[in-house]
Amino acid sequence: MSALGAIFARELRLAFAGGGGPAGPAAFNLAALALAPLAIGPDADTLQAAGPGVIAFAALLATLQPAERIFSEDASDGTLELYALSPVGLALSVFMKTLAFILAVFWTTPLLAFVGGLAYGMDVTSAFVLALGLGFAAPGLAFIAAFAGALAAGLKRAGLLIALIAAPLQVPLLVFAAGAGRAAMDGTGLEGPNLMMALAGSLAALALAPFGAAAALKARLE
Amino acid sequence: MQPKAVDAANAFIATHSQVLQLPIFTPIPDLPALTKAAATLLPWTRAPSAAKSALMSTAAFSPSPISVSGLRLERGGKTLLTGFSLDVQPGEALVLLGPNGSGKTTLLRAMGGLVRPAAGEISLDPQSVAFLGHADALKASETVEQSLRFWAGLYGGDVTALDPVMVDMALAHLARRTCGTLSAGQKRRTALARIALSNRPVWLLDEPAAPLDARSRARLASLVRQHCEAGGIVIAATHVDLGWAGARVEDLRPAPTRTAAGVG
Repeated sequence: MSALGAIFARELRLAFAGGGGPAGPAAFNLAALALAPLAIGPDADTLQAAGPGVIAFAALLATLQPAERIFSEDASDGTLELYALSPVGLALSVFMKTLAFILAVFWTTPLLAFVGGLAYGMDVTSAFVLALGLGFAAPGLAFIAAFAGALAAGLKRAGLLIALIAAPLQVPLLVFAAGAGRAAMDGTGLEGPNLMMALAGSLAALALAPFGAAAALKARLE
Repeated sequence: MQPKAVDAANAFIATHSQVLQLPIFTPIPDLPALTKAAATLLPWTRAPSAAKSALMSTAAFSPSPISVSGLRLERGGKTLLTGFSLDVQPGEALVLLGPNGSGKTTLLRAMGGLVRPAAGEISLDPQSVAFLGHADALKASETVEQSLRFWAGLYGGDVTALDPVMVDMALAHLARRTCGTLSAGQKRRTALARIALSNRPVWLLDEPAAPLDARSRARLASLVRQHCEAGGIVIAATHVDLGWAGARVEDLRPAPTRTAAGVG
């Protein structure tokens, strides 16, 4: 247990110190949120209606942005071999590493969703529900992106591969996170089920993606 | 507050602090306890103490002999080794010699369980292996001590041996440098210190001495000798002479007869 804690603490530190923490994806997310209204137009009702979808979509794109660098450095500098030979093993190491990476990099996602929701004209409750939905969905989105990143680690055109692999798998999380916000805004009373589905999708990704990522990385070592 | 008042206060503190022994300028009363707590919480704040240089003196290993038989290794569709056999006894140092591309690295990775051989058997538990690859597995933003402490802890090594090992590998003065600022040789020495701290009986070293200078090579040789004296096994792949007295040399050159030759 303490070994897992040590990996978590180290990867958290490395994600902040070496990778700049949440700065890159948060800036990407923020830029998407700021640019979308320029394309959609100034009509307040349209913006409000588009709000949950645009915000959830921006969060999804932000999870793809750092996917390539989650494992590429570990794959090239020999860290993966050391994790594979450690008593913890590759799968659990990858799990703890990804968890730490998500916490370090994507803790801003719900905050941005809340502020973005208000800026797009949503009321406080719906913005909060949307933020909660993305808070539930973000770990799943990031785990799927990490899985794709592991498959593409060290390959040429890794970015293309990541987008092709991750985007379809992320669809349910996108649908339910945005759906929760929209349900709260429209008062359909379906925000609860949407939130539960987002959380369920996230937990499923949490349970499956690390083993897929570890298998992909193991295959890459050979 | 007015700027003038700030200046006046600063000047007062600067001139009178030593005389008046203002609380902010006196040492915190319980400094030793505080430092100790900080050292537990933030390992990198601990100063390396060059107390003893008795490296790995307490550890004794009794690994089971390594046996490789009928091994065939392929890489990129090309057969590197075929019908390869090898036996290594505890306490033995083995040097795998061969030119570039002769399969040394792949053999080491196969022995560490990182590559699946195309055929043959390797009797070696990956959990008894400390592996040093081409890359040193150091992170640019991590200090030498942080890195060594992490890997020693993860591999269940003896963290109290950290200081003596750093002294032995001439790393004590680099303990708080981040790995990104190290030279290639210093990185290699850090990676070798990680191996020494891993508490694993079998060391698999890929070109361990490549970026090392003469003195560091001597340090490596002594590290290897001590590990073998403690009953450990060292297998190193290299294309240069490591100068390890008493090490067995296995030539991987793709020659018709591949025999083990005793040296020293």
